[in-house]
Amino acid sequence: MNENELIKLIIQGEREKFGIFVEKYQQMVFRTCIGFVHNKDDADDLTQEVFIQAYQSLPEFKMKSAFSTWLYRIAVNASLNKIRKSAGKSFIHRLESFFGSENQMTGQFPAFDTDDPENIIIKQEHSQWIQKALDSLPENQRTAIVLSKYDDLSQKEIAEIMNTTEGAVEALLQRAKKNLREKLSENVRGKNKK
Amino acid sequence: MNCQLCQENLDAYLGGGLPAGMMTQVESHLKTCDSCKRLSEIQLLANRVIRVEKETEVDPFLVTRVLANIERLDAAGFGNAPLGAGILRPALITLSLAAAVLFGIMLGNLSRPAGNAGKIPLELALINDASLESVDILSLE
Repeated sequence: MNENELIKLIIQGEREKFGIFVEKYQQMVFRTCIGFVHNKDDADDLTQEVFIQAYQSLPEFKMKSAFSTWLYRIAVNASLNKIRKSAGKSFIHRLESFFGSENQMTGQFPAFDTDDPENIIIKQEHSQWIQKALDSLPENQRTAIVLSKYDDLSQKEIAEIMNTTEGAVEALLQRAKKNLREKLSENVRGKNKK
Repeated sequence: MNCQLCQENLDAYLGGGLPAGMMTQVESHLKTCDSCKRLSEIQLLANRVIRVEKETEVDPFLVTRVLANIERLDAAGFGNAPLGAGILRPALITLSLAAAVLFGIMLGNLSRPAGNAGKIPLELALINDASLESVDILSLE
């Protein structure tokens, strides 16, 4: 049974069959989400939200693109919405951090293997500002870089998800990499001055 | 090789995707340039941060959680209901609300005294029954 037939059955009321899609695509959606939010708990919640949204929008899926492409679009939009909402809350978060009511580092880092000394060093020194450098990119550059680096998608696939041309994706990735280089270089210069 | 060219090729260099000649040029530049060397280390770390995030496993109970939420939503009337249900449901709710309001008005009207359907003239309405003079007084005149 192919995916489109499965979708028809789900729309007709066999909702438990949606579990097949969740099983198949959960890691893919999770990877995209964590690329945007850099936090396992947030990415888990976001992944769940993406699948529920997909289920509710299933009757609107035209089957003109692959189901995975459609799911990627939902995941990217949900992640960007989440980031926009968190950006609104960040002022309060900064205030809380300033007054010491919350440890700024809590839950910010990915789950490194704590037994590996090399990973501890990465965690302590670099991962936060590497994530900050990624987060500071404009939305479209960030989307392109997440889909490329986290999901290992080709420029053609990214173009389809972002509803643009391959050339535009190539330009976006070039600009994103240049911006990242500049931001990381700034940090290197800052470190060298110290 | 200058710093700009080296930095532009760092990503491909670290990913092992550069032609051999270019690879040697980048390598020799990195040996002599501290700032590019530091940047290449940072980029290598960035790749590791991404790799660690990519390898993080999703919640093992995600399928169960999603299906439970979907079931709850369907029970609450959302989800993949037939197309007509999206219109019928609110229409039925509106109709039943309107019927309830009408029924309430009708019930309220039942308690009003019947008859005297005609309008009472204004002068009669203004008469205060308590202060009416006795008919006897009138007959004495």
